[in-house]
Amino acid sequence: MYDFTLFIIGVVLPYIMMATFGIALGYNFFKFMFLPRPVMWAIFPAKKNLASIFITIGKRIFSLPGPRKFDKLIFTLAWMFHIGLIVSLSLHAKYIFMPHLPLEYEIGSAAGMFAAIGSFGFLIRRIYDKKTESYFSDYLALGLLIVTLLLGQYIRMFKLIDSIQVWSWIQGIITLNPVLPPADTLFLIHILFAQVYMMYLPFKTLIHPIAIFYGQKIILDQRHIRR
Amino acid sequence: MNLEKLFDEYRGLSDAKVRPQEPKVDRFLKAFREILSKENNWAFLLPLKLSLEACTHCGTCAEACPVYVGSGRQKIYSPLYRADLLRKIYKKHFTWSGKLFGRLVGAKEATEQDINALSEAAYRCTICRRCVLACPFGLDNGLIMREARKILAELGIVPDELKEEGVENQINFGSAPKIPYDALINILDFVKSEIEENRKNVNVEIPVDKVGAKYLIINNAGDYLSFLDTIRGIVEIMNYVNEDWTFNSPKTGVFDNVNYGLFYSDKDLLRVIKAHLETFKKLKPEYVVVGECGHSYDVLGHLIKDLIPPEERPFKVIHIVELYDKFLREGRLRLDKDKNPAPVTFHDSCKIGRCGGIYDEPRRVLAASCKDFREMFPNREYNYCCGGGGGFALMNKYNFPEFRMKTYGRLKMEQVKNTGASTLVTICANCKRQFLDTVSYYNSSINVSGLSEILANSLVY
Repeated sequence: MYDFTLFIIGVVLPYIMMATFGIALGYNFFKFMFLPRPVMWAIFPAKKNLASIFITIGKRIFSLPGPRKFDKLIFTLAWMFHIGLIVSLSLHAKYIFMPHLPLEYEIGSAAGMFAAIGSFGFLIRRIYDKKTESYFSDYLALGLLIVTLLLGQYIRMFKLIDSIQVWSWIQGIITLNPVLPPADTLFLIHILFAQVYMMYLPFKTLIHPIAIFYGQKIILDQRHIRR
Repeated sequence: MNLEKLFDEYRGLSDAKVRPQEPKVDRFLKAFREILSKENNWAFLLPLKLSLEACTHCGTCAEACPVYVGSGRQKIYSPLYRADLLRKIYKKHFTWSGKLFGRLVGAKEATEQDINALSEAAYRCTICRRCVLACPFGLDNGLIMREARKILAELGIVPDELKEEGVENQINFGSAPKIPYDALINILDFVKSEIEENRKNVNVEIPVDKVGAKYLIINNAGDYLSFLDTIRGIVEIMNYVNEDWTFNSPKTGVFDNVNYGLFYSDKDLLRVIKAHLETFKKLKPEYVVVGECGHSYDVLGHLIKDLIPPEERPFKVIHIVELYDKFLREGRLRLDKDKNPAPVTFHDSCKIGRCGGIYDEPRRVLAASCKDFREMFPNREYNYCCGGGGGFALMNKYNFPEFRMKTYGRLKMEQVKNTGASTLVTICANCKRQFLDTVSYYNSSINVSGLSEILANSLVY
């Protein structure tokens, strides 16, 4: 029975997750790409060419000028969360190439803490800040994320899993020669929640990069002016 | 919370207009479905759907909203709350997740009460679009309110000031305030004699309906009635530089630059644009110069380029402040700052600044014509809406003016007072109207002025 669970969560689900995530993401991206070109309703100062628009979008993704100016709390939380998550995901992605990295334990632990504090902050803000509107779907997303992050942090800090085993498991998935994942209950719950979250995210709202790409592009585009 | 009573503290729309007892859900959903189709909403479909679907409800936009801040941070005035009245209905009726999971994902069946509440909520937002700057994704809750107004307009729910007394008057009589030709000419004669009296040895000409003039200056008709100093300023400056220019009158069609269709209906927006185009076709100017008006510049200066093919608009459109700035840079204006010694501050109108991209030109003109020009803070794209946008400056029924004063107006007065200026300059007629009301409401001694009269006053003959 346990092997069957390992097989479902560690071998079948990753492919379902990747397909669901990819298709939903692609659908959301192309759905908006093929909507009619809108009347340009830029917010000034805006940009006159595509290169400047994309450079500014890139800058805005990292500098978050809106939250920085209007809501310092969410700006701080967003920075902690996103930096923590990016570093943490990068350390997961290294398994595609290698089982170990120098200072992985220290950097990963710090990143996990950052991401967890950020997401806890989001949750508390949703509960107590009257400016927000929150529904079950918002709490579910945060809940999945927090459980995933805390378990990942626990597993990393207490070194419950041999990284060679994780490397073999991920290599198997990538090379289409899947092997069972490490047989640890906490690890199984960690990867289960992470995969459910990845499948859920594109359906909940547009995943952030897509929303930022289209939303910021619309308000940054002033190419019609002076035409 | 009883949605029907939600916005009853202040009313901009009467029960006769909203018809709260009349069943509206089916018609509302039909109109909503129509604006979600490519055929019926070519213009704003992408940003509308994006803003409806991608919002994470983080509420960052609230602090950017002048009515939310000005109201003492009441939740019902936050951009998110207002937009969510429509977003919930969208999710329930037009997304599969909303149909399947309902309230779990924030979806809600449309009810009569929701629509009644939305009718008032849509007229609590001036569509100033400051909230867009706050959203990390660049989503536009202001646009959602504009599109809500479009749906409601299909149900006949539009303030009289915008539709019957605005667009319909303009198309039928040439201007929203229905100024007849003779009255307009009398007003202009008065302006001419006043200038000639003040500026001895100066001959003033006010061309009207001149065909083929280089500059056709089309004003907000409200300026002819309420802000004659602005008209006087324009006439004086154009005579000073001895340019080939003209005003127009009801004889050549629409002579009022406003387009209140922008605030509630794409159909009426286009009707007014076409009426303007008919007028311009008769007068054949090289430049259409938008007088001191904000939303008119948004329409004629920007939106028209996406809505009307280039061959149907063989003229350039500029705002009058751009023309003044051009004259200044060409060295055609000799100015004496000492003639305007009082401290002056400048209000960036939303449709000219944030939505129009004109920030530096008025500042250059003011710096050249006033001895003590002071910035107000925040300014430029971050400036607060005065509360006159979105048609609000015209909406004076019931206790709506009190709402404008106690929310937007209160915040704006604090901002202006902090500058220590005794004169407030703005280049939009609706802003001027709102400021005059605000100054009077708060018993302030601040002088409200257009830019044209300030510039004209500093001319050296």
